Amino acid sequence: MSIDLVTFDRPPLTAGERKLSHFLLFFENLIKVPLFKCQHCGECILSTTAFICCQNCPKRMRNGPCGGTGEGGTCEVFPERKCVWYKIYSRAKLLHRVSLLYKINKIHDWNLEGTSAWLNVSKKRIDAPIWFVRNDQQAVQDRLADDAAREN
Amino acid sequence: MTLQEKIDAKQFVLCGEIGPPQSCNGDLIREKSRYFKGWVDAVNITDNQTAIVRLSSIAAAKILVDEGIEPIIQMTCRDRNRLAIQSDLLGAAALGLHNVLCLTGDHQKFGDQPEAKGVFDLDSIQLIATVAKMNSGWLLSDQKIEPAPAFLIGAAANPFAEPFEMRLIRLYKKIQAGARFIQTQPVFDLEVFSRWLARVVEMGLHQRCAILAGVMPVKSVKTLLYMKKEVPGVRINTEYIDRMKIAVDAKEEGIRIAVELIHQLHALTGIRGIHLMPVLWESIVPVLVKEAGFQPRS
Repeated sequence: MSIDLVTFDRPPLTAGERKLSHFLLFFENLIKVPLFKCQHCGECILSTTAFICCQNCPKRMRNGPCGGTGEGGTCEVFPERKCVWYKIYSRAKLLHRVSLLYKINKIHDWNLEGTSAWLNVSKKRIDAPIWFVRNDQQAVQDRLADDAAREN
Repeated sequence: MTLQEKIDAKQFVLCGEIGPPQSCNGDLIREKSRYFKGWVDAVNITDNQTAIVRLSSIAAAKILVDEGIEPIIQMTCRDRNRLAIQSDLLGAAALGLHNVLCLTGDHQKFGDQPEAKGVFDLDSIQLIATVAKMNSGWLLSDQKIEPAPAFLIGAAANPFAEPFEMRLIRLYKKIQAGARFIQTQPVFDLEVFSRWLARVVEMGLHQRCAILAGVMPVKSVKTLLYMKKEVPGVRINTEYIDRMKIAVDAKEEGIRIAVELIHQLHALTGIRGIHLMPVLWESIVPVLVKEAGFQPRS
């Protein structure tokens, strides 16, 4: 199976888009910084991580927790904090959004760092947010069954 | 037979682990390699483990090849960006190193130079997918590589850290990205491990990759207590601590516990091998393999 790791037909931001991005960021930050502690990666995957910004992880993990989560879900780097992915999983379970965690997130495009994710979504540079998940458990089961079928 | 062939043939494999020295003395690696030759199928070479500068994993692995041992190079994302990772992997393939264990890497805070910049350009899952893409003949830039390398891709799993369910999702993603074998953290709590393994089997993941359980022989109760306190994500059953405490000969007891664990793990459904991690106690490997009843390897 091949996985699309990086999108290459992604044109770089034009000068005009950068200006627009700067303008949009003002409003985006008003919401995302206080609510989600947004780290401005420009490649927002908040909707798939149960609306907790995974970029607050010291290792900036985009695909789940590293192996160092301590007892009770503490971060290995800053033991006074909770592991970001521990929080994400707990909330994903609560909101029935666990099936979204099975998706492999792409390698970060550093060209998008510090740009407006809203603009990037509208220009189709990044995936649009997923607002609703129907039948979370079934989605997980289907995914595993599909893999089993492909394997045989 | 290479490790890849053994895994394809579903043989029960044994792996070892060597940490390269904090110097440029290659003889230290040759010396340690003696304890593994003929006793295990392949030997991991750690990549600046716990973020402490050591002799490079790829260079050390080349020394092992010259000694007639099949190495598994470890590749972490802490020290390299995507360019360096791909370049190092091409170099490794050119040197005849075909097994790579993909890790995110310990945070630099735990090392001897905590002020360093951690790269973390990729994470372990994206690294696995990168190696898989290289295997199919493409760099990340979609540049064709000819000939394509043929890496056997490995990954790590930690069954003992929270959130437990998310660990399984991560394992799933690693296999989905292209991991062919999985090495686990050292097992010191069989109950938690069995519970994790049962879920892995339930998800059918044990058929899609070879799971090698980690076993770490310990010399003294001090090591166990240190691990419990200082190493994040490690779980140690108090039974083992008590046994090491009251043992007359701690080393003997350490061997007994390790052999016991090897037997118990061998009996579990879904386990396809053992990964021995004799940190600072390499000389014990032949004893362990003999005591556990495995045949010497050719």
